[in-house]
Amino acid sequence: MDFILPLVDALSYILILVLIALGLMIVFGMMGVINMAHGELFMIGAYVMVVCQNSGLPFLAGLIIAPLFVGLLGLIIESLLIRHIYLRPLDTILATWGLSIALKQLIVLWFGPESQSIASPVDSMVTLGTFSYPAYRLLVMGAAILLIGGTFWTFLKTDFGLQARAVIARPDTAATLGINTRHLYRWSFVIGTALAGLAGALIAPTISVDPQMGLGYLIPGFLSILVGGAGPLAGVLAGGAAVGGTNSLLTVWISPVAAQIAVFLLAILVIRMRPEGLLGGKK
Amino acid sequence: MRHLLPVILLGSLFAIAPLFLSDYWISQLSIYLIYGLLALSLSLVWGYGGILCFGQAVFFGIGAYVMAVMTKGMILPGLTHTFIGLIAAVTASVLFAIALGYFLFAGKGISGPYLAIVTLAIAIVLERLMSNWYALGGYNGLLDIPPMNIGLFGFDFELWDSIPIFYTLLIVVFVIFLGLSILTRSSYGMLLTALKTHPERLAFFGFSVLQLRLSVFALSAGIAGFAGALFVTVDGFASPTLIGFTLSTEILIWVALGGKEMLMAAFLGAIATRFAESWLSEIFGDYWILALGLAFMASVVLLPKGLIATPLSALAKKLKIRL
Repeated sequence: MDFILPLVDALSYILILVLIALGLMIVFGMMGVINMAHGELFMIGAYVMVVCQNSGLPFLAGLIIAPLFVGLLGLIIESLLIRHIYLRPLDTILATWGLSIALKQLIVLWFGPESQSIASPVDSMVTLGTFSYPAYRLLVMGAAILLIGGTFWTFLKTDFGLQARAVIARPDTAATLGINTRHLYRWSFVIGTALAGLAGALIAPTISVDPQMGLGYLIPGFLSILVGGAGPLAGVLAGGAAVGGTNSLLTVWISPVAAQIAVFLLAILVIRMRPEGLLGGKK
Repeated sequence: MRHLLPVILLGSLFAIAPLFLSDYWISQLSIYLIYGLLALSLSLVWGYGGILCFGQAVFFGIGAYVMAVMTKGMILPGLTHTFIGLIAAVTASVLFAIALGYFLFAGKGISGPYLAIVTLAIAIVLERLMSNWYALGGYNGLLDIPPMNIGLFGFDFELWDSIPIFYTLLIVVFVIFLGLSILTRSSYGMLLTALKTHPERLAFFGFSVLQLRLSVFALSAGIAGFAGALFVTVDGFASPTLIGFTLSTEILIWVALGGKEMLMAAFLGAIATRFAESWLSEIFGDYWILALGLAFMASVVLLPKGLIATPLSALAKKLKIRL
């Protein structure tokens, strides 16, 4: 039964990656904005849990506060920063990079550079025959599936989602038909950041929380989007599965370093050979 | 000639600077000159060529490592002269850039945000690789790299003191600076502007967009590799940080803060940022990085041409010089 554990680990990593990439994807697919500070928003979600733990609030309260707080931050970022550079997509990379440096340093100043740990709310293990796995990780996986499903539902089945997809496909036509694109951009950005915050809060107990943690998820997140294809929303599932799955399995089979190098190189190859992504059609 | 005057003036200012500076600051200024050269290389490829390269440190690092390996005699123990090392370093960065550029730009190619993410990923891959390549020092890097030796034909003339190092670097860096200033105003510079703004029209006029893109990418990589090679002779130490992600983004910040579309502004951006860093980080400690991030953000939004380029071009307009 040795092979089940790596597979479950891989699935768990893929789900978190998809959750992070979804937020990036909404922002990139809709507005063409590359949000380099997305990893830091994810990190802030985890630090909200640190604050909650230190002030004795229950775990669930943290899970509610984190997406609200990070979403509010997203709203502020959108109105102060992103709004002014929508028409200069390459500059959004630079500006959000500056933002990411500033946010990272704020956390360092506030909490120090050392890593923090969050107590897991559920300590038990789930055992099935010879296979046992921490129950909390399974809960995180379940929550991630729900969130991913919920995001897909929002974008595929609600009026908001229909309008959002219209704006992605034909921004000018959508605006002509009376859709308030400004409003949609703003709330999509907020949804994306809130998702990042919630993802950070959810997995905080399973990783070490430190100011540098964002980057380790940001780049694989971007590679997932580009590998999967930024067009259809489902692309992020394929991309996340490809990048996350290869990474975790190679980590077990070879070494973490070799896995990361191999995944990055494979991702670069795919992006170069299929710029529309694995699921994207030819333009 | 008129447009070269500002560069010559700046060079002369640097030349008299050691009269007023302590030994420590002279050696700092030598390092800044090398960073300035690196900034020039990014300004060329990004501001003039329109290729946003998020991994410019890759070429700097390749130059640094090749120089270290050559002058330490790790491959060819008979050929350890500085000049041979420099030639090898530049060749290696240029060849890598041509191979990488061909892979990235041939055919439909990738551009814009895709290119930024891919070059960033390449920088991370190479940093990982060098951190784990134990023959090349791994995470600890390569130590005891010999200093510059500018003697020829059996005569050794090694540069150990800060003053000769400074003036050698000053001459080398400003010769390249002048060369780039002339180049960007030549017909080649015109082609670069076309490449940046309307590559498809360039193709209609019968120019090979791929060749042009490769040429500017390779030229910029060669300069960055040269800067890397110079850096290790001064610093004596090559480590994976020279090739990686952090330095890449730092260069980007210098150039964007200064002004990517003006060589002079990019050069001054690098020097001003590095100077501010060593000066202000003593006063403000960790708040300095916070301030840098915020300043970068503000400058991208409010002054997209750069904090230094905007006043410089206003001044140049008044003096009727084209910078």
